[in-house]
Amino acid sequence: MGKYLSLAGISVKNALVYRANVTGRIIFYFVFIFVFFSLWRMVYSGNEIAGYNLTQMVWYVCMTELVLFCSGAGIFGVMNHEVKSGAIAYELLRPWNYIYKQFAGTLGNMTFSASVFTLMAIVLGMIFVGPLPGFNAAAIPFIIVSFMLSITMNFFFLMSLGLLAFYFEENSPFYFIYQKLLFVFGMLIPIEFLPLWAQGILRYLPFSLITWGPAKMVVDFSFGYAMQIIPLQVIWCIAAVSLAHFVFSRGVRKLNVHGG
Amino acid sequence: MAAIKLDGLSKTYKVKVRGEGLKNTFKSLVKPEYKEVEAVKNVSFSVDEGEMLAFIGPNGAGKSTTIKMLTGILHPTAGQAEVLGFNPVKDRKKLSYQIGAVFGQKSQLSFHLPPLDSFRLLSSVYEIEKTEYEKRLARLTELLELEEFLDSPVRKLSLGQRVRCEFAASLLHGPRILFLDEPTIGLDVVVKHKIRDLIKRLNKEEGVTVFLTSHDAGDIENLCRRAIVIDHGTVAVDMSVKKMKYDYLNKKVVSLKFNAETTLEETEGVTLIKHTPYAAKFSVDTRIAAIGRVIAGLDSDNIADITIEEPPMEEIIAAIYTKK
Amino acid sequence: MFTEVKKHIRLILKYFSFNLSALAEYRTSFLVQVFGMALNNASFAFFWWVLFDKLGGGIGGYGFKDVMFLWAVSSTGFGLAHIFFANMNSISGMIMTGELDTYLLQPKNPLINSIAARMSATAWGDLLYGIILMILLNASGMMWLMFSISIFTAALLITSIAVVGHSLTFYFGNMDMVGRTLWEFTITFSIYPETIFKGPVKALIMTALPIGFITHIPLRLVYNFSWGTLILLFGVAGIYALLAFGLFMLGLRRYESGNLIITRM
Repeated sequence: MGKYLSLAGISVKNALVYRANVTGRIIFYFVFIFVFFSLWRMVYSGNEIAGYNLTQMVWYVCMTELVLFCSGAGIFGVMNHEVKSGAIAYELLRPWNYIYKQFAGTLGNMTFSASVFTLMAIVLGMIFVGPLPGFNAAAIPFIIVSFMLSITMNFFFLMSLGLLAFYFEENSPFYFIYQKLLFVFGMLIPIEFLPLWAQGILRYLPFSLITWGPAKMVVDFSFGYAMQIIPLQVIWCIAAVSLAHFVFSRGVRKLNVHGG
Repeated sequence: MAAIKLDGLSKTYKVKVRGEGLKNTFKSLVKPEYKEVEAVKNVSFSVDEGEMLAFIGPNGAGKSTTIKMLTGILHPTAGQAEVLGFNPVKDRKKLSYQIGAVFGQKSQLSFHLPPLDSFRLLSSVYEIEKTEYEKRLARLTELLELEEFLDSPVRKLSLGQRVRCEFAASLLHGPRILFLDEPTIGLDVVVKHKIRDLIKRLNKEEGVTVFLTSHDAGDIENLCRRAIVIDHGTVAVDMSVKKMKYDYLNKKVVSLKFNAETTLEETEGVTLIKHTPYAAKFSVDTRIAAIGRVIAGLDSDNIADITIEEPPMEEIIAAIYTKK
Repeated sequence: MFTEVKKHIRLILKYFSFNLSALAEYRTSFLVQVFGMALNNASFAFFWWVLFDKLGGGIGGYGFKDVMFLWAVSSTGFGLAHIFFANMNSISGMIMTGELDTYLLQPKNPLINSIAARMSATAWGDLLYGIILMILLNASGMMWLMFSISIFTAALLITSIAVVGHSLTFYFGNMDMVGRTLWEFTITFSIYPETIFKGPVKALIMTALPIGFITHIPLRLVYNFSWGTLILLFGVAGIYALLAFGLFMLGLRRYESGNLIITRM
């Protein structure tokens, strides 16, 4: 366990080194929120749409973006590289070690991003629309749990997609599809904008749970809602981790069969 | 006729000075301090058309800065440069039609396409007329033996093949001066010889002036008749390569093999390099001890083999570099 | 001077065919990237469709078709810009690594020479996407007319803005981030309805950083054609291009004086 912690520590230091990269991401985050703020301000004229008002919408987008900016999305590329360069072949019989090692390694980076972007999210929310009326501080523990589950889930799904490099020369299409599903089913707009039948299905699928799940908890918390969402997140989280494990062990075995 | 003329050429850079720590970082933003670095100080010399000059010096001596001023990439702070009658700064475009360059790390070829395609593109850039281009191409292909791989993508070529293509690229427009920066670095012996032959032929048959920067002693020895050593921005040495080789260090190296076990002792001007019971290698400072006398002082019946040579070029250059 | 312009146009065309043959090397990667781009654009189209559906009316005076027009023009304009001048975003890099010197040694204008040296394969996808979108939209004659005209002014503006951003490297050291950010801004701001931007931002994109002229003004012309505005469109595109060119050339002179805030020895 200790070695995982020290790995995390190193990755924080690394994250600090890539300051320029962070600046770029901060700017991108800001521009995105600004554009969406401008859009929603135009669309809303004081009323509600699909159960959300302007203030909620802007905070919503700040939160969904926050999830995605903290998720260590680089893991897809890293996995791709590890598989293609053959470095992964050395991790032969230790799938759990490898999966967790990667997670621990990215943890530092993710913690750093989380601190920076949580701050940004709150600052921008405050500047653009002011505080969320009716925000209940009691919701915070649930929010944090939900966020962590989202980030973890997203990470392991991306890892699994990256590990598909064992089977596919070009696995980018999977990444694109996954990413766009996240965009469309929660990041850009809450699922309440979509027809009811669609909402019914999406509530149970991981895509919306990653972004809309925690974001809704921030802008429109209810205990009942949290009790619905969090267990589902836990289930999908476990599924994601298992998927990563599965793809990895099968993939490595395939590598050995073919002689690497 | 001078192809290149430098007259008091100087280049001073203003470099920002920033102390360590947060306070100084802030200070440098508000009131920046500058340090003047004289990269090239008052350099004057001239190169005749058809000459092959070695322009050497330790790293950071001001070599690339000088070359950049001669090719118009950099403006001098003081002094003049005149290349083929042009002012490199004012007439950069006109001059560029007349000069070619092969700079070690920089490539003029597209990585993914065959060299032939890059050559064709360059013929547009330099506005080379079609028949003229075909003639030049044929000649360079023959000279550099490019026939086999003209159609293969550059990324598939070996280093030697790539360098030969770079040379062809820089010569397509028939330049009168060729600026070379480390042209043979990393090449195997055979290719090095090919390149050196090409340069010699171009110089002999077309009168191309060659301005060579190289750390390879073999390049210098084989190609150039004159060498200018630049150090700390000024000309340290300007002499013929022959003189450099034979006279600069005033040193001869003698290697002996004996018939019987022998011990040699160092004397005035004679320094032992290596000594085993049956062999000895020593250097003679010819300013102190005449080589003839030293040899005469040996027991000729005891000598099984003798070799007398100049110190290697590397040593000579190193000595020049380290001299103040 | 005119012969120089002609020579450089010929050079750009030569680079075009030269770069095109290099692209043939990258078939799979190209298809995959185009797929990604198409998917990305489709997801935004879906987003707008959902929004318009939910809201029932216009958004800031724009209908769904209008928003799609913005996408079409910016996509094809972007495609054109990156087919001919894909190296626009590498300017800062070339300055910092000294790669620019290679172009300085050649008898052609270093800006044109360096930015034309590369072609983006996926830009062809962007180019086609805009056209396909226009077809799917069943666009009006006026829309098609403005599309055909504004893709060129858009390409010119996109290139000019990137050049302006990256030319700052001559003055302030590595501004690669600034150049790229500006380039991102340009794309992002041009695909949302004009009316969402107010105040200082609106002023900015209509003047100092004429992003508004890439897609928004052309759309205005679709509904409210006026020769004056059309001439303004051409004027702004042309003048900004000259500005970008001038800024680069001035910066180049600074580069040649060697007084960058980094040591270039």
